[in-house]
Amino acid sequence: MNSGAPAQSAVSLKWMILPALLFVAVMILYPFAYALWLSMLDYRLGQPERFVGAGNYVALARDPQFWNGLRLTLVLYLSALVLQLILGVALGLLLHRIEVLKGLIRTVMVSPFMLPPVVVGMMAIVVLDPSMGAANYLLKSVGLPSSLFLASTDWVILTIVLIDTWQWTPFVALIVLGGLQSLPIRVYEAAEIDGARGWRRFVYITLPLLGPTILTAAILRSVDLLRFFDIIYITTAGGPGYASSTLNVYAYRKGFEFSEFGYASALMLTLSTIVFGAVLVFAQLRRRLAW
Amino acid sequence: MASAQVAILALVVFAPIAWMIMASFKSRVEITRFPPKLLFEPTLENYRQLFIRTDFLENTVNSFVVAGGSSLLGLLLAVPAAFAISWHRLTWPATLMLFARMAPGALFLLPWFIMFSGIGLSGTHTALILTHAVITLPIALWTMLPYFDAMPRELIESAQIDGCRPHQILLRVALPVVVPGLVVAAILCFIFSWNYFLFALVLSGISSKTAIVASFNFIGEGVTNWGTLMAAATVIALPPILLTLLIQRRLVSGLSFGAVKG
Repeated sequence: MNSGAPAQSAVSLKWMILPALLFVAVMILYPFAYALWLSMLDYRLGQPERFVGAGNYVALARDPQFWNGLRLTLVLYLSALVLQLILGVALGLLLHRIEVLKGLIRTVMVSPFMLPPVVVGMMAIVVLDPSMGAANYLLKSVGLPSSLFLASTDWVILTIVLIDTWQWTPFVALIVLGGLQSLPIRVYEAAEIDGARGWRRFVYITLPLLGPTILTAAILRSVDLLRFFDIIYITTAGGPGYASSTLNVYAYRKGFEFSEFGYASALMLTLSTIVFGAVLVFAQLRRRLAW
Repeated sequence: MASAQVAILALVVFAPIAWMIMASFKSRVEITRFPPKLLFEPTLENYRQLFIRTDFLENTVNSFVVAGGSSLLGLLLAVPAAFAISWHRLTWPATLMLFARMAPGALFLLPWFIMFSGIGLSGTHTALILTHAVITLPIALWTMLPYFDAMPRELIESAQIDGCRPHQILLRVALPVVVPGLVVAAILCFIFSWNYFLFALVLSGISSKTAIVASFNFIGEGVTNWGTLMAAATVIALPPILLTLLIQRRLVSGLSFGAVKG
């Protein structure tokens, strides 16, 4: 701490936080409390609302679509996370080794995750169209069977995982690149003398040193993947049927297609709890890994 | 060796974007021709259709109003807050902002919907600017914090001794030092507000519909003309891509809320 700070406390700047706090109170904390209240009501459009306490949460535990949504959320989350971390680390290592055209490569790598989700969704619809899209043309031309992609109950989640992986792997790679650039060179020199090279050097030295960086990427991706909404809703609206109705999409449909405001709020809060839980677990892990 | 691998990967990453831009200049027949011709006769017909037959121009203006307004509001709230948080070395306000950023946006939608209907703001630009400021405020705050942290404390202390009032210190002493941070924060806020889909999907009215939501509606209306669809996609992709070019190096650290250094 700066030793001069206490003496300066005569001039307090704390009031400068007030406008932001007021905004947060009105736009975030009050609506959060409101959502909590809504989740305890039986509140549908055109019906008088009724207090049901934990009723919505009991109904949720018996709702097969809730469990379907939870399953889809976890399948999407885990497969996309693992895929993006593995590919992201590989791509980051590659980027670390290139010497030429760094600026141009960086621009290309940054562009997917800066695109509006709507644009990514529109591209996916056109490229993955079962009859006229480029993807099936490519599959057929290398002798593979064509796919219905987003229109297939079996493949829709995997297709969405691949779309998200295309968009966000470069982000993970750039985080890993940042981590690689800050690693101590002396450790590598020592490893060189001990004869650790190639694969062994990666497994025993680079990977452990990169641990905190990879966990940071994992946290950031977890927050987005667990509440993944945009591209699913844009490309499939949760369908076919409920085949891509993850928790967030299912909650949205309940709230805005079926106007079951109370039940939708209960779903939303359950999802929020899952997101915060995941972040806390990762944050704990990261604290333990920090050296 | 590494360069060749990276070049191939860069191609994979960029191919869909190139496909989109090319398709926006292709005729209906040309788009579904396989194998695609690299050299084709470009046409502006898709863009003409987009801007003449639909309200896309008005929607784009709405997007600029909402993204610009919410970036400004976010900065106005976040900059003084970041200054004070950094000076007093507080941690809880920034944590509170992280909470705001992590909660699923849909959680707030129903309460907002009811709130805005109650005060007659639903469907207005104001409602969209207020909700998008929920996105921009945490981004601006977390982007500005390291810039204020890096500012020498003596600078502020001597201004205090000279008898400057707090708002004068912020405006005349601190702000000029953190201009680079302000630029990065403003650009990040604009991109994120511009790209944001969910809030405008529910809360925008006919007169405030953003280009993002209008494009989504094109899909729903079954606009089978892919050329027009890709023209709309290209138009809304342009501002974020161009702005990104300005702040590339700061981008990843800006997106990771200080968890990653640029």
